[in-house]
Amino acid sequence: MSAAAVFYLTTLLVYVGVDILAVWSLNLQWGIAGIPNLAWILFQSAGAYTAAVLTLGPSSGNGGFQSYIIGARLPFPLPVLAGGLVAGALAALVGLVVLRRLRGDYQAVVLLVITVTATLLVENFPRFLNGPAGLALIPQPLSSRFASSIGYAWFYVALTAAVCAAVYFLVVRRITGSPLGRALRATRDCDFAAAALGKNIVGLRLFVFVVGGVIAGISGALLVEFITAWSPGGWMYVESLVVFTAIIVGGTGNDFGVMAGALLVPVLFNEITRYIPTFGSPYLVDALQWVVIGGLALLFMWFRPRGLFPERRRTMALGGPGTTVAGPGQAGVEAGRPGASQGSGAGTSTAVGGAGSGL
Amino acid sequence: MSTLIASVGFGLVTASILALAAVGFTLQFGISNLLNLAYGDTMTAAAFAAYLANRAGADLWLMLLIGGAFGAVVSLALNRFVYTPFRRRKTSLFGMVIVSLSVAVIVQNLLLAGFGPSFFTYQIGQSRTLRAGSLALTVNQLLIIALAVAAMLALHLLLTRTRLGKAMRATSTNPSLALGCGINTTRVVGMAWLLSGFLCGVAGVVLVANTTAFQSTTGNDFLVLVVAAAMLGGVGKPYGAMLGALVLGLVTEIAAGIIAPGLKEGFAFALLVLVLLVRPQGLFGDATSRAVAA
Repeated sequence: MSAAAVFYLTTLLVYVGVDILAVWSLNLQWGIAGIPNLAWILFQSAGAYTAAVLTLGPSSGNGGFQSYIIGARLPFPLPVLAGGLVAGALAALVGLVVLRRLRGDYQAVVLLVITVTATLLVENFPRFLNGPAGLALIPQPLSSRFASSIGYAWFYVALTAAVCAAVYFLVVRRITGSPLGRALRATRDCDFAAAALGKNIVGLRLFVFVVGGVIAGISGALLVEFITAWSPGGWMYVESLVVFTAIIVGGTGNDFGVMAGALLVPVLFNEITRYIPTFGSPYLVDALQWVVIGGLALLFMWFRPRGLFPERRRTMALGGPGTTVAGPGQAGVEAGRPGASQGSGAGTSTAVGGAGSGL
Repeated sequence: MSTLIASVGFGLVTASILALAAVGFTLQFGISNLLNLAYGDTMTAAAFAAYLANRAGADLWLMLLIGGAFGAVVSLALNRFVYTPFRRRKTSLFGMVIVSLSVAVIVQNLLLAGFGPSFFTYQIGQSRTLRAGSLALTVNQLLIIALAVAAMLALHLLLTRTRLGKAMRATSTNPSLALGCGINTTRVVGMAWLLSGFLCGVAGVVLVANTTAFQSTTGNDFLVLVVAAAMLGGVGKPYGAMLGALVLGLVTEIAAGIIAPGLKEGFAFALLVLVLLVRPQGLFGDATSRAVAA
């Protein structure tokens, strides 16, 4: 393979890893716990910006052409970890405002407002994170130890894969395949039933919101350290829709389904447009790409709302110890449809909100 | 002090545009239980329709009419052919948000594909500036304020004095009971979408007439303020949306005039978060909307 092809391949693989982290993060929040996090991209970019300002060094560097806060030069794993921490802290803050008493679609819209406002703030205050121009020339971590840039690219692919594996085995699987995951699915499918069974709905949602936020932050930090630049144009709120579409296409709530979604939607779509010969004006392909993403979300919501690889329906036999209520098809704790995350009407959420805020 | 007075003037103009938009948005939520995120892009589409009319020689009044009619038709079609079918399939509340967000992205990018990323301007001529002390507004801006006040009054009369308005309120409060009382709810919902779509289109045209230059993202950028105004007043409450628009319009312009222009939306947003923390049902929320917002 030529050097260019290898470089292309490795960059693609890093994107695959980052996108997989992204869908796992949002799938925990939305697919498993039913939190409509339309601000998802905000947490990814919080991680990215944090890692960037902790890697770049003082803002007088590079001739001082960009201005930003903090400006430290920490050794490698620290900026990525800090990116996760900052994103998690931000998620805790946002979660405290949004998750406590609002109905599902309200939450979604407030989160949308939050992410749009955050973009505006960053763009309007150039001294905070260099405004609309974004941050660039972020040094790639440990790159001085590699003789060739191709060797380094492969190293970064391995690093991304290792992070994915660690996140999956240490976090994602431990949540989705455990009693904690069951409780989260219960709050998603029928939150007042979960509250009636003594689950702390707000606490559970806040927990998974923060965990998802940390993963989102790490994904952003990993990406920015590799591509060395980050700007507000890359984290407009619609980017969250791409991750949502990936999850809907793959199979909401299914760890492996959403991985497939990550491969199909963000990765494949970005690559396909590379091979479309440019026609019309330069922005045309870009605009049509967004039309297709929106159309894909609509088509799947209509024809296959549970995705290509639907979440396994978990059922429980009646009559076992302590299982007097749950059964498939009833208001069972585990038997609901993944799509029907927030109840079906205002009446439902009344009871929920009342119970939730009373906890 | 003079900055403050001037800002209040601009605040009233912004509040008027916001009120037109937020009342339409909140009507859609009240009647269909849907937060329509394609609302801002429908505004842009209507603004583009009026732009084409303007190029063909239409004046501001005709443009308002064309923009309003276009917004009404687009909104009705969206509800009839996209939102209602999805709702019939029992798509969850948040699923509907994703549906409307997808529609928003599609509309916005179709506009981008059709018109390109450049800015457009209406040719409506410079109107005279009227001054009263440090308060300075153009005739067109006064016109926008008058238009908004007239529209709010007309809406008030419609909702309280006519059979259609009462049927809308009944449908919004309890659709199945309204249906049971012999109200043709499908027709009433359609009328409500036409009406809100008309307000949406008019709001799009006055937004552009006031800000002078627009592009395919203009309406969507404004949507954040619209949503904030509607939520501030309690979503689904037309009078709440009017109050929310007034408060937000004044706060954003005064903040922009006195503190920093970049903080405009930031202030609007901080206000919204504060209200949601203290009073999640919004300023005008009563017992029923508390249930909705709980």
